[in-house]
Amino acid sequence: MTRVEHLRNLALLGACAVALAILPHALTVYLRSFVLFTMMYVVLALSWNIISGFTGYTSFGHVAFYGIGAYACAILVADYRWHWLPTLGVGAVLAAVVGVAIGYPVLRLKGPYFAIAMLGAAEGTRVVATVWDGLTHGGLGISLPSAETSLETYYAMLVLMLLTVVVAYGVGHSRFGVRLNAIREDEVAAEALGINATLYKLTAFTLSAVFPAVAGGIQAYKVLYIDPPSVFFVQITIAMALMSMLGGKGTVIGPIVGAILLYTAQELTWVNFPTAHLIAYGLFIVLVARFMPRGLMGFAIDRGWVRKGMVH
Amino acid sequence: MKTAAILAFAGALAALLGLGVGTGWAGHRPNNEVLVGGAISQTGQYAEPAGRQVYSIKLWVDEVNARGGLLGHTIVLRLLDDKSDIQTSIKLYEKLITEDKVDLLLAPYSSGITEAVANVNERYKMPFVAYGAASTPIWEKGRRYIFNIVAVAEDYQKGAVHLARQIGVKKAAIIGQDSLFPRQAGKGAKDWCKKLGIDVVLEENYPTKQTDFTALLQKIKAADAEAVFSNSYFADSAAQLRQMRELNLNFKLYSSTIGPSLPNFPEQLGATAEYVLGFSQWEPLPKVLGHPGMQEYIERYEKRFGEKPNYHAGGAYGALQVTEAALKKVGSFDNEKLRDALATMEVQTIYGRYKVDARGMNSHEGLTFQVLRGQRRVVWPEKWAETKAELPTPEWSKR
Amino acid sequence: MERSDVRSLYLLAAFLVCAYAMPFLVGAWAGTVRLDERWLGNLATVVVGGIMQGGVYAMFALGLTLIFGVMRIINAAHGEMVMMGAYLTWVAFFYLGVDPLLSIVLTLPIAFVFGVAVQKLLLDAAVGAPELTGLLITFGLGLTLIYTAELIFTTDFRTIPYAPGTVQLTSAIAVGQNRVISFVLAVAISTAVYLFLKLSRLGKAVRATALNAEVAMVCGIDVRRIYLITTGLAAALAVAGGALVSIQFGFNPETGVVYTLQAFAIIVLGGRGHYVGALIGGLMLAVLENLVSLMVPNGTAMVELAAYGLMISVLLIRPGGLMGVKEG
Repeated sequence: MTRVEHLRNLALLGACAVALAILPHALTVYLRSFVLFTMMYVVLALSWNIISGFTGYTSFGHVAFYGIGAYACAILVADYRWHWLPTLGVGAVLAAVVGVAIGYPVLRLKGPYFAIAMLGAAEGTRVVATVWDGLTHGGLGISLPSAETSLETYYAMLVLMLLTVVVAYGVGHSRFGVRLNAIREDEVAAEALGINATLYKLTAFTLSAVFPAVAGGIQAYKVLYIDPPSVFFVQITIAMALMSMLGGKGTVIGPIVGAILLYTAQELTWVNFPTAHLIAYGLFIVLVARFMPRGLMGFAIDRGWVRKGMVH
Repeated sequence: MKTAAILAFAGALAALLGLGVGTGWAGHRPNNEVLVGGAISQTGQYAEPAGRQVYSIKLWVDEVNARGGLLGHTIVLRLLDDKSDIQTSIKLYEKLITEDKVDLLLAPYSSGITEAVANVNERYKMPFVAYGAASTPIWEKGRRYIFNIVAVAEDYQKGAVHLARQIGVKKAAIIGQDSLFPRQAGKGAKDWCKKLGIDVVLEENYPTKQTDFTALLQKIKAADAEAVFSNSYFADSAAQLRQMRELNLNFKLYSSTIGPSLPNFPEQLGATAEYVLGFSQWEPLPKVLGHPGMQEYIERYEKRFGEKPNYHAGGAYGALQVTEAALKKVGSFDNEKLRDALATMEVQTIYGRYKVDARGMNSHEGLTFQVLRGQRRVVWPEKWAETKAELPTPEWSKR
Repeated sequence: MERSDVRSLYLLAAFLVCAYAMPFLVGAWAGTVRLDERWLGNLATVVVGGIMQGGVYAMFALGLTLIFGVMRIINAAHGEMVMMGAYLTWVAFFYLGVDPLLSIVLTLPIAFVFGVAVQKLLLDAAVGAPELTGLLITFGLGLTLIYTAELIFTTDFRTIPYAPGTVQLTSAIAVGQNRVISFVLAVAISTAVYLFLKLSRLGKAVRATALNAEVAMVCGIDVRRIYLITTGLAAALAVAGGALVSIQFGFNPETGVVYTLQAFAIIVLGGRGHYVGALIGGLMLAVLENLVSLMVPNGTAMVELAAYGLMISVLLIRPGGLMGVKEG
């Protein structure tokens, strides 16, 4: 990509940022929430993509980091009376630490074993949150005192999203990203070329852990009540994976497009068809995975509409 | 990439507008209507008990409309489904309040969901009387816009503990699901045991989806517990009873909080359900309880829905009676005035007496029943008892 | 086996011994363990109960390990197939009056056909594809099954009251009648499948495909047909497991999820594609869960942790499990 193209993309991002910054003042609270959650899923999908799309290690338990961030915020705000913003930092650091701790042993596993191990890790974190009563109130859940007007969390999420996009873009268009792709394509050959696969994998994994944690924290402060089943919900990981896959795993714009489209479609269907919507969702997942595993971006690249970057 | 980004963004904006139109931008109701809304579990694990509350709500709405409406306004009911999920419920209430702009709120079902929703209605200062939550912590956070009518979780096992004392139980086990309501019930059971001098030899929670209690039951037996107070719903209490029978484990008394009060319990378990103690907030027994209007309510409910109302239905109806009375007193739908009325009034309903304390809690008294020959019979407190409790439970082999 | 292979096997065995010792140690420290006859009777009952249950667990893990072994696909909808089996049995019982055990004869062919259809329409595209494809397809299938079941049956819990009595094995050990029946049936069906795989021509073809699909093709085996048969068989096993579940426990559309996760843990422990491994894994997991519940204070809440902890530890020590090769 040329310098001009990079600048153009940056300008585009800036324009979106400005538009999104003005938007909430024109919307009702409900729609504000809707945009907030859409942005959150963009963050989640992009983060998941870093480890699973670029690096090829399909994580089936990424919601663990989201939950960690949510609990960090909830515990510190509800029990220790912190202001919510610093708790996001704590959540991020915690997720990074846990990411390294889990990642180091687990990234040694291959393909399906890594996926199952991450699923086990996420479920295990949920059980720990349920059982460690003293810290997390267990099954009772945590209720947070309310102080915000819904604008604060919106802007926080906006900033987070912009940050994530910039980072994902940076990874996708840098040597770091190329090396991650090399690892995905053939790890042994990459090592033979001198790439320290362990270091790169771990970095990607940790990076992908931090943003969901912050998102989880913001969400906790928005929704004001969390309990283990809701923040360690396996369907959140599925959503991350599906959105990336729908948009195009391994690209930068793919997860963004996938997240926006899927979340909006879900919300529209849910509002209008409450019972059938879940069956439709299940079918949708099946169809996308079966017929469009390379996603919309893959489709567009095949048609020559978009130039191939580092797509799967 | 540029095209794709623009397309996605445009698509999203279009969808946003579509959402706005789709959900019906509120505020243009004909003047003679009032929008009453809420979200309740019509699917999911709470669908059975919450479904009975939905019946009462519908009955109440039709009756009020037949009488000329609420303060002369016809009620338009908007009851959404939260799928027994906390996060869904929060979203729905926000939507109902800010988008649909309902005039009056209805409560959800279950302590967990009510606790979460309480944050929402408190923020928007819209009061309601909760009929689906029995956990004290909800009212100990200084909230001003939520009131309760039902007996608290902590008292669910009160009768069972008293009966255990009567038959001379010295050691008991308290088990329950690990979620808000069962844990509060467990706390209450423990306090009552302490007050009545029963030693709690085992206290353990289990995950909500647990189906195999072999080891836990053996553990209870190993601890020499004579009575088991189980803070459980349908599936877990049914599993516990069946496994007690299969393992030939005999206890003098077994009591469950929610399971036995659900209609299918004696049918699905047959003889295994005999002698089980359960708790009921209210029973359709006008001669026993004697609250005003009970007989008529029961008849109308039975005529329309083909079954007698259970306590979930009764509680919802009572709460709505209170709300109607408060509105009449205030003469308008002003939220602040309504809140003040609900906080200070005393009303007699088919459910019992409503008069809340400073926290917003009612002091409703419930009853303990025992399943005898497939029927639920009230056995405690004595003033309402239909028959004497048949305790201690005979051994499995002797039945 | 190579040296590092053997080493990792010893390491795994050592770990398992520690895992089993742990509840005893914790219990001894916390005072829940007593060495008198009555308590030992309790322990024996719990272990026997675990074995009975493990037999049934193993049976549906068997189906999962078949799919994973032959096609390298992780079937995230396995628990939902079990759930389907439970509902089919229930319907046969309440509406047609068919004995739940006899209805297995009816439901197995239905399940087999269903499995074949799923393979043909959905999973053929996932063979050889990255693991995410198979995971998402099956996950989506699972979700669809759950919510369709919810639509038809609602979320009310159902159960079949069958053989509720008790069997007194010794003066101290009792076990439920329906448990014993389920266990016997599970063992019978698993043995039948095992013999099929070991002795029959088709069974050998399945095993050959699992070892190396390309070589099997070269040898003249119609690999596509084997895939169809594998998924059909796996679905049949899951549904049979569901029938056994329906007479022991209550179930509703969402109970399948827990079974899927447990099945994952079992096949990881036993080894990918290893049928005997799945049986051993099932027994071991069920017994460990029961031990933890009995002896660890507040253990029942931690039972899930035992399953996941076991699974992750096995993955880290020896991904191939007890009976697979080291790397899996």
